[in-house]
Amino acid sequence: MQPFVFKQCTNILKATQRRAVTIRELMSGISEVSEASIFHHTYQYFLKGHMLEYTNDFAQWVGEALEEKTLSEHLAIIDPYAYDKIADLRTRLVGVIEDYLGHFPEPRPALAGNEFHFNESATIVFPTGIVAHNLAEFLQGLKYVDSSSIYYHFYEGRSRGVYGPDDFSTWLSEKANEPELSGRLRHIDPFMYDIEGMRKLIVQIVEQKVQKDMESL
Amino acid sequence: MIRLQDYTGISPKADLQLIYKLSDRLSKKRFLHINSTKSGGGVAEILNRMTPLLDGLGLAVRWETIEGDQRFFSITKKIHNALQGLQEVFTDDMWAYHEAINAKNAETLDLDADVVFVHDPQPVPLIKFRRSGLWIWRCHIDVSNPVREVWERISTYAGSYDAAIFSVSKFAQQMSIDEFIITPTIDPLSDKNRDLTEAEVAEVADRFGIPRDKPTLLQVSRFDRFKDPNGVIRAYRLVKKYNDCRLVLAGSSATDDPEGDAVIREVKEFAGNDPDIHILLLPAFSDRDINALQRMATVVLQKSLKEGFGLTVTEAMWKGRPVIGGNVGGIPSQIISGVNGFLVNSEEGAAFRIRQILNDPAMAKGLGDNARQYVRNNFLITRQIRDYLFVWYAMLNRGRTVMEM
Repeated sequence: MQPFVFKQCTNILKATQRRAVTIRELMSGISEVSEASIFHHTYQYFLKGHMLEYTNDFAQWVGEALEEKTLSEHLAIIDPYAYDKIADLRTRLVGVIEDYLGHFPEPRPALAGNEFHFNESATIVFPTGIVAHNLAEFLQGLKYVDSSSIYYHFYEGRSRGVYGPDDFSTWLSEKANEPELSGRLRHIDPFMYDIEGMRKLIVQIVEQKVQKDMESL
Repeated sequence: MIRLQDYTGISPKADLQLIYKLSDRLSKKRFLHINSTKSGGGVAEILNRMTPLLDGLGLAVRWETIEGDQRFFSITKKIHNALQGLQEVFTDDMWAYHEAINAKNAETLDLDADVVFVHDPQPVPLIKFRRSGLWIWRCHIDVSNPVREVWERISTYAGSYDAAIFSVSKFAQQMSIDEFIITPTIDPLSDKNRDLTEAEVAEVADRFGIPRDKPTLLQVSRFDRFKDPNGVIRAYRLVKKYNDCRLVLAGSSATDDPEGDAVIREVKEFAGNDPDIHILLLPAFSDRDINALQRMATVVLQKSLKEGFGLTVTEAMWKGRPVIGGNVGGIPSQIISGVNGFLVNSEEGAAFRIRQILNDPAMAKGLGDNARQYVRNNFLITRQIRDYLFVWYAMLNRGRTVMEM
């Protein structure tokens, strides 16, 4: 069995120096900023380690700073993993805002100090030093790795190269001969848990399988 | 001497691992910090702790300060104020003097290094005298709303650096160089933040005459109108109707602030003769006392109307206290309202959240636990060391957004 090498990642924020005060400025910002910035504000939202009713920074800003709940809900339901290219995700985000503006009055601008700041990030990926050679070791690793390792494999793994499943379920199906377990992980809704909540859930699912294996003849 | 190993089990392991990896890559390279003072203020405090830690990692680290006379520092104080939005009068002669003193310092300082971090506006003109290496301007102050002409002067220097670092996104300014965001941090092993025994906390309570017979609300801050001490008293009075409690307002007497004494008088007068309001004027270097006050508090407030980053919020969160902060400056980057504390926009909002916390100890504990974890992950000095090395490494690998080590 090819072992699972737990990696982790660390980000540092870079300012793009672009900001938005109104919904139209947010929309033109989304149209024009780098793909790295779109990636940061959507896919990397989970790295913040907390979960409110939003799933990306744009939805959060519209909900909190503009207090425009309907548009916020429309933005929050967008699944970035449904898009193979960031360009398509960008088009979808802009389309949702345009559509909203076609049907509803324009929201007020954000108050001073609550502007949206478009950022990007640089990332360093490095090993945790933990390697799993079987399911029991994999379970131990899941319990004790840094939360950024859970993020890196479960969330960022889906957007690496071609958009697909997370690293955990890929390893389980392709290297560990655990297709059923892999399927269970693939059916977890990634937007409904913060990283620590996600860790607990994955640990629980894998632990059930390890227990079952230990008890079987 | 303090070493990075001392943070094992306190700071996140991933941060320590990355610091070791980065310092390995940058081993023996020369890392120079320059600021304007060795003591006093948050920058000197952090550099005092960070320099020996970096040295212990095998980097050739130096920390230099620029020297100047009273006129120079009175000019730089005005620059500091103007960058934070206060109107000040400047003449060309003052700008020339600011640069001339930096030129004089450049003659005596050894500016040769692989990376030079120049902190704040006082030494920013030193870029004109760069000899080698990467030069990075580290701006610690809130420049989100500067006096425009003063920012334009400073940016003629800052724009010549290879990169700039600001503390919060909203402080970043339009420049044609890379700009990184690195939030300030606290040192969990310093006197202000280290664990205290119950006896140490009790001794401080006794010395300040604060009975621990009822819940305590605390705000630690300079006596400054932007910290809204009278708003805190009004919030306390709204709470007091149904919830018996004490209020402690603790802060420095701010001898360098001409308005400080007037604010203290106003606060004392407004507090009247309420025996449950304690106004404490703390001398400089009261770190351990502040630590104890934060640890004995049931709720910590930072109901600022204007704030830089607000490290007192971080300190209280690290001690597992539920914190209620004003929704201004850097406070929203620390408090996720309802998750690890509460953000409020008015004294009425503050009063409501205090009542919630006093009436739901389980929720208060949950907020406090989340607060400590959030600080552990985001606002400890090891993260700042990691980020400084990260910026350096990223600048050596410009153009790459993902770097595998």
